[in-house]
Amino acid sequence: MSSTRLQHALQRFEDGLLAFILLLMLSFASAQIVMRNLFSSGIVWSDPLLKILVLWTAMLGAMVATRQHHHINIDLLSKFLPHRFHALQQTLVHGLSGIICAVLAWQSLRFIALEWEEGTLAFAAIPAWIPELILPIGFISMSLRFLLYSLNLQRDRTI
Amino acid sequence: MILTLVLIFMALLGVPLFVVIVTGALVGFYQADIDLMAVIIEFYRLAEMPVLLAIPLFSFAGYLLSESQAPRRLVAFTEAFLGWAPGGLAMVSILACALLTALTGASGVTIVALGALLYPAMAQAGYKENFNLGLITSAGSLGLLFAPALPLILYAVIAQQLNVGGRPFTLDDMFLAGVLPGLLMIGMLAIWSYWKNRHQARTRFSWDKAKAAVWQAKWELPLPFVILGGIYSGYFAISEAAAVTALYVLLVEVFILREIPLGKLPEITRESMILVGGILIILGVSLASTNVLIDGGVPDQIFAFISAHVTDKLTFLTLLIVFLLLLGAILDIFSALVLMVPLLLPIAIGYGIDPVHFGIIFLATMQLGYFTPPVGMNLFIASYRFNKPVMQLYQATVPFFFILLLSVLIITYWPALSLGLSGR
Repeated sequence: MSSTRLQHALQRFEDGLLAFILLLMLSFASAQIVMRNLFSSGIVWSDPLLKILVLWTAMLGAMVATRQHHHINIDLLSKFLPHRFHALQQTLVHGLSGIICAVLAWQSLRFIALEWEEGTLAFAAIPAWIPELILPIGFISMSLRFLLYSLNLQRDRTI
Repeated sequence: MILTLVLIFMALLGVPLFVVIVTGALVGFYQADIDLMAVIIEFYRLAEMPVLLAIPLFSFAGYLLSESQAPRRLVAFTEAFLGWAPGGLAMVSILACALLTALTGASGVTIVALGALLYPAMAQAGYKENFNLGLITSAGSLGLLFAPALPLILYAVIAQQLNVGGRPFTLDDMFLAGVLPGLLMIGMLAIWSYWKNRHQARTRFSWDKAKAAVWQAKWELPLPFVILGGIYSGYFAISEAAAVTALYVLLVEVFILREIPLGKLPEITRESMILVGGILIILGVSLASTNVLIDGGVPDQIFAFISAHVTDKLTFLTLLIVFLLLLGAILDIFSALVLMVPLLLPIAIGYGIDPVHFGIIFLATMQLGYFTPPVGMNLFIASYRFNKPVMQLYQATVPFFFILLLSVLIITYWPALSLGLSGR
């Protein structure tokens, strides 16, 4: 498989997962209302699950935002900076972001290792480190994207 | 000090704000000899705030609505009832913008979704070009003070986890507090629109047209009642209201009216979740940076510095508005909330300002920032959308800026307007 096709497949997977998570969130949140009002009961683990889905939405949303250059930033300089400095500015911005995200990725891996050792449970019988996996996945993906953008290998393209 | 300068430089360079904030937190923890893993532990608190569920669900509902024909029906509906008055179409624009922004929270969406309908309609009805442009650009951020706008929710979340004293309050208090100040802004714009266009030729009110518009909008009409009624009566928690809204909008627009093909759903999901991811990741890292700031006693230092120079509440409030206007011109409302509320709220409380009132002042002023020259975001969105030079938009928005500034001053110096309804 060529790298472009791999990229496309990854992007499709990311978008699909995002849509799936949102749908899951919507279904569980609605089911909970129905259960509460009709049967005055609820699914015990639906609250913790919903909270984790929020985290997943946040990370996946941020991953896609990185891909599409849509992170919230102050877009002031690029409006006034002479054109020949743009490439330099882009390299700096993305390089810095890539390094910082790498630090976050490393710290989240340590966090997960800790949770794994301690055997914390998220809900039902699910160990906490499984839903937490989205943290290193997200930060690694963002870090790689930022670094590739900073090297300017993929000009005008999303990775 | 050097760190602050480096961070400001990074931000101005265009580094994503979440990276800037987390860099500050990492350095802060490092200097305090705290394990850097603390940043992740703080970040993970995103998964411990049930109210955040409302943010993706409302955003999704808002994006779905703006992609359907609902904005068209909203305009037709308000026009049928208000279009006959002098300046009626302007009032239609004001109300439609406020309603859509309350739902979508991100006002850029409002200009994009409604601008294409309102701008040509007003031009055709004979409104002057600059009035037209100025009204739509400034109304694009109207409605931020009404439930369930995301900035209101976000302010309550941030203020509550700060735990800085002042009278405790709930999200419902915020929702109630926004009602009258929001109506004041709408009212003042409406009066101005009437005055500017009082000699305009009128159209007649038509029952047939009104009935047709109601019938057309029959599916969306229950929405405001369900959302607002549910929230303000306390029947729904905010996240439940969000779930009901998202589910209802999905069923109506995709399955009943079939205005959004199923195949377009992934794209709409993606676009709305990019916004959500962008906001939540900033919120997550700010949980860490806020800790650093508070542990370092930064709010206390700022308070000590300011209170040495500013002795009375009124001067403080005036300085606050000037500062927020400048801030709002370069920073979007979400970043400004997570960055500035932890710093400013303790100070405001020190001056005896109610945290609910402070929140309303903050949001109302930031709303103006959206179209404060030179870089208010809506100026550029409108310039792009209507293909007009930014300089023309600067000019066109001036009268609206001063009207809304006046309303911000009233909101600021008259606390009862914000606090009366919740009986604080």
